[in-house]
Amino acid sequence: MNVVVIGNGMVGSRFVDELVASDPEARVTVLGKESHLPYNRVLLSSVVAGRTSADSLAMATTPSDRVRILTGVAAVDIDREAQTVTDAHGERHPYDRLVLATGSQARIPSIQGVATDRGLLPGVSVLKDLDDAHGIVTALPKARRAVVLGAGVLGLEVATGLAARGLAVTLVHHSERLMERQLGDAASRIATGSLQRLGVKVITETSVAHVLDRRGVLSAVTLTDGSQVLTDLLVMCAGTIPEATLARRAGLPCDRGILVGADLASPADPRVFAIGDCAQPPEGGSGLVAQGWEQASRLVSLWAADAGAAPHTDRAADAGAQDELDVTNVVRVKALGLDVVTMGLSGKFEHGERELRAVRMADPAIGRFVEVVVSHGLLVGATVVGDKQCASELSAMYTRMLPVPADPAHLIVRPLAGVARPAAASAADMADNHTVCQCNSVPKGRIAAAVADGCASVDDVARATRAGTGCGDCRSLVGDIIRSCGAAPDAEPADKVPALAGK
Amino acid sequence: MPAQHGAASPGTELPGGATAPSTSPQDVGVATHCPYCALQCAQTLTPTPAGRLPLEVAGRDFPTNRGGLCQKGWTSAEVLRARDRVTVPMIRTADGGFREAGWSEALDLVAGRVAAIQAEHGRESIAVFGGGGLTNEKAYALGKFARVVLRTPYIDYNGRFCMSSAAAASNRAFGMDRGLGFPLADLGGADAVLVLGSNMGVTMPPFVQHLAGARERGGLVVVDPRETVTARLASGDQGVHLAPVPGTDMVVLLALTHVVLAEGLADLDYLAARTSGLGDVRRSVAAWWPERAEAVCGIPAEELRRTARLLADASPSRGGRGAYVLTGRGMEQMSQGTACVTAAINLALCLGLVGRPGSGFGPVTGQGNGQGGREHGQKSDQLPGYRMITDAAARAHVAEVWGVDPEILPGPGVPAVRLLDSLGREGGPRALLVHGSNVVVSAPNADAVIESLRRLDLLVVCDLVPSETALMADVILPVTQWAEEEGTMTNLEGRIIRRRRAVDAPGEARSELWILGELARRLGVEGGFPEDPATVFAELARASAGGTADYSGVTYVRLDAGEELHWPVPSETRHGAAHPGTPRVFLERFATPDGRARMIPVSHHAPADDVRANATTYLVTGRVLQHYQSGAQTRRVDELNSAQPEPFVEVHPLLADRRALTEGEEAILSTARGEAIATVRLTEAIRPDTVFMPFHWAGAGSANRLTNDVTDPVSGMPEFKVTAVSIAPARVPAAAVLKGASVA
Repeated sequence: MNVVVIGNGMVGSRFVDELVASDPEARVTVLGKESHLPYNRVLLSSVVAGRTSADSLAMATTPSDRVRILTGVAAVDIDREAQTVTDAHGERHPYDRLVLATGSQARIPSIQGVATDRGLLPGVSVLKDLDDAHGIVTALPKARRAVVLGAGVLGLEVATGLAARGLAVTLVHHSERLMERQLGDAASRIATGSLQRLGVKVITETSVAHVLDRRGVLSAVTLTDGSQVLTDLLVMCAGTIPEATLARRAGLPCDRGILVGADLASPADPRVFAIGDCAQPPEGGSGLVAQGWEQASRLVSLWAADAGAAPHTDRAADAGAQDELDVTNVVRVKALGLDVVTMGLSGKFEHGERELRAVRMADPAIGRFVEVVVSHGLLVGATVVGDKQCASELSAMYTRMLPVPADPAHLIVRPLAGVARPAAASAADMADNHTVCQCNSVPKGRIAAAVADGCASVDDVARATRAGTGCGDCRSLVGDIIRSCGAAPDAEPADKVPALAGK
Repeated sequence: MPAQHGAASPGTELPGGATAPSTSPQDVGVATHCPYCALQCAQTLTPTPAGRLPLEVAGRDFPTNRGGLCQKGWTSAEVLRARDRVTVPMIRTADGGFREAGWSEALDLVAGRVAAIQAEHGRESIAVFGGGGLTNEKAYALGKFARVVLRTPYIDYNGRFCMSSAAAASNRAFGMDRGLGFPLADLGGADAVLVLGSNMGVTMPPFVQHLAGARERGGLVVVDPRETVTARLASGDQGVHLAPVPGTDMVVLLALTHVVLAEGLADLDYLAARTSGLGDVRRSVAAWWPERAEAVCGIPAEELRRTARLLADASPSRGGRGAYVLTGRGMEQMSQGTACVTAAINLALCLGLVGRPGSGFGPVTGQGNGQGGREHGQKSDQLPGYRMITDAAARAHVAEVWGVDPEILPGPGVPAVRLLDSLGREGGPRALLVHGSNVVVSAPNADAVIESLRRLDLLVVCDLVPSETALMADVILPVTQWAEEEGTMTNLEGRIIRRRRAVDAPGEARSELWILGELARRLGVEGGFPEDPATVFAELARASAGGTADYSGVTYVRLDAGEELHWPVPSETRHGAAHPGTPRVFLERFATPDGRARMIPVSHHAPADDVRANATTYLVTGRVLQHYQSGAQTRRVDELNSAQPEPFVEVHPLLADRRALTEGEEAILSTARGEAIATVRLTEAIRPDTVFMPFHWAGAGSANRLTNDVTDPVSGMPEFKVTAVSIAPARVPAAAVLKGASVA
């Protein structure tokens, strides 16, 4: 089977790897527009923030003699009749199946002066690929101020990253809420507070109207409210548009992205599939790599099942079957000092017919907000701002669909009162049955009895009771117990296990 | 009173000086080592002819235990006089019981049945199952017996359940598996020690002394889903405890490696000079940025970054005093165990730790002779000296030492889980000889193991006590133990130590060395199986010469003179002096053909039996301080048994609340394999999505009735450490019955 994959990004390359491993008959041609091998696009904002070196972005691909990868070669035409793809060099690649993994492009808002004949005005950038990241990093040494347009996940990451590098950052956002698709009012307000503490100025319900230049280089922006902000950089993080140009030209039905069914095939052509950001599946595209990776695995499994092979049981697919939960939609802002994580139902969502319990805690003074949404004993959504531990526990629980505690409030507040922690009681307060020496199961009572019998040193007690003769960690506590019993322990280093052979 | 080693403050000096044979008064009595774990704590045994027990045990100063012993070690003499100690051969009777027999009757019976089964079904119809507690001499003789006398490929051992993943990963990365490739005392000088899946605070308490330096400097990092005794050692400013979702240790490692590479913290000079494969590993960990790892392993991304930086700051290339990466069964007993250990090795290599004094990587071996036991031919695919049985040169060398034609040596057999499963099946072995192992309790999917043993035509068990496995046997042969025998063990540091006899064995118990010789003779092989351990060792040394685990320069004389010998110890001399052994391995080169460590990219997969709608909790298993492995020994010691009398399950209060479980009441646990019943202990020291059960008991409370026998594709290691489980109260509450309520 000849397979042509258009797009050599995170999703396309993952698909090729899994397909080649699963199907010994598959022969694959990959057309990649970028000159780089697949790399981790998710970390571009970390490169801008200086938290990740660009050379550790390259991603693993398994070399195979059944895969031909053309980098820096764009696909220019799909002939569905002939089942061929023509590349920019004019070479035609025949296919039995075609997979579009063309990703998305950055949306460039209509801003006066933003574009010139030679592309974006110097100083203005999007952040969609490695070249964009290099461009921003190269401009940093001479930049003191930056405007970031768009307070979605990427905008927040870029804004905090540039602020951490010492730039004066203004974050301009069209909506009244940050990450308005994920955050409600209270969570957004708390996140805004955190941003301000990190030195980011936040302006909402506004956009950039014009960019102003001095000698062909960005110098300031004018906002839609009429105010002007001086700046050396403008990074536009105004969302993405699925890259569907080729598909449209080939007559495949497209809406926002390339329309595909649950089988990831185009309804107009069973030989053409789309995965990742370019696709628009029935449940909608989330723009998250987890969704694209899940689609890549699912498509390989579906093809294997078609071929009569034992169907690969995919947890996420199983999960989808038994519940409407999409466990891939965990949204996590990667920013030092700004912890925002959402999953499933978050922000302003419709309750609809469902029986939902939403429990929330807002703690603005320390920048903390947690909301959990529970349905039929499962976590179906959460919003967490400023609580790392809670966020990581909830996401581990959400992605595995683990049942929640009887009272969902326990997801937010820990620990549950019930069993007391073994309190670090002082030697005097300790109960007689408290185990002092774990290694030899020696309770305090036995040590006290040994002291009463005349043991005056930690070693005496060790000989009499074996306390402290294992790992030695309790020896200082044994000393305290001797003192609390009224005897002064003989001077000795109390923290080392002596050789106890000699009696 | 503290002797030379005990006085040394860990971490304040560069360790590693040789211990002179001690002549201090404490060594009056017999100097030997503890019968239990791989730390092999030094003991002095003083015979007490008039006492209830035949001898008295005391800790002895030694570089590993520094005089310390845990409760198991202190009470080890009790096992010598276990009330139900087997002291004469026992033969199963028609009514299902046993009768006493003389040695010649029992041996004639075994040899006769073995010969008859082989005559009818071929040589491969007999299998042998060994143990990681056997001395080097016994392990060697057992492997030789299988290959030369039985001429069956079917031999494997319970070390497959312990060290096989760690061994496989070390062998493919470094070309050699020496356990800890450095003396334990070296740990004391490091700024950081990363411990993954080991609870040495409970399983080998005196080990903890060597963590003091790292704790003082805030550098102890413990990765464990439970807040174990060991994890608590890292509390406060002593270090970090990361509690990942069970089965995701590898994700933690991939994310730590990601951060080390992404933040430019790796030792690039070392990587360039001493390793190959960095590019592949760099690309493979690119997919594991901390925020992605967080959703999988449940540890906050910033916590992962902070931990990676802590380890990097301790590493020599960044001016630290050194760092160690140690792995344990918690992360190795997985169907991706070899890959997990490989991920740990990759991290250690990125930090430039391996083959450098003061830093390193190593698995913490568990069983008493878990190291030596995997080197001398008990493994299904190996010959003595850690040689591969498929290697023609290795076969020729060993065959020459054994005085046989290499052609008669069988090829590789199958690893333990497959071996046990094949028993009594079409084409599988029909008889099994078991030595030093209690598979009914210690193997995964225990109910299936019992079924396997029932399918056998003949089961022969050599044991000290009527263990659960021995009780299924057709013949039980009583053997010597620990203080009743001479031999050598190889501890977790690859240090070869002497086990010495202090008392006579009770009744007619005999060493396996004698038993194997007697069986060999009855099966037509004269000679080659001496009873004297020193003679066996001399042959073992010759057989290992030139192999990976080269013991050829080791003699009882050198060991008895107090020399500290870590293998490899080739027989060659340097400047007229005997080879001093190799306390620290890989200092100049790795044991690979090109001398470089191989970095191999690995990828994570979820547990084979992962949580799902009808089994929403993870089960992890492990040990308690008072018991050792299957409990065959420790459950027979009153003091230990009264401290930990029964199976239990640790449950977080949140889970208990949801499942209506009550402290002290019984819970029933179910997996796809079986059910077990255990008493509930509530604790906040465990994740709410996880329960813990120790595996020391048989019967209804046997944790291994629940565990998964799916194995690692490389090592054959079963996935003991993670499975989905459902848990419910064992009894329906009376109130619920009265109300007629249904109980979920």
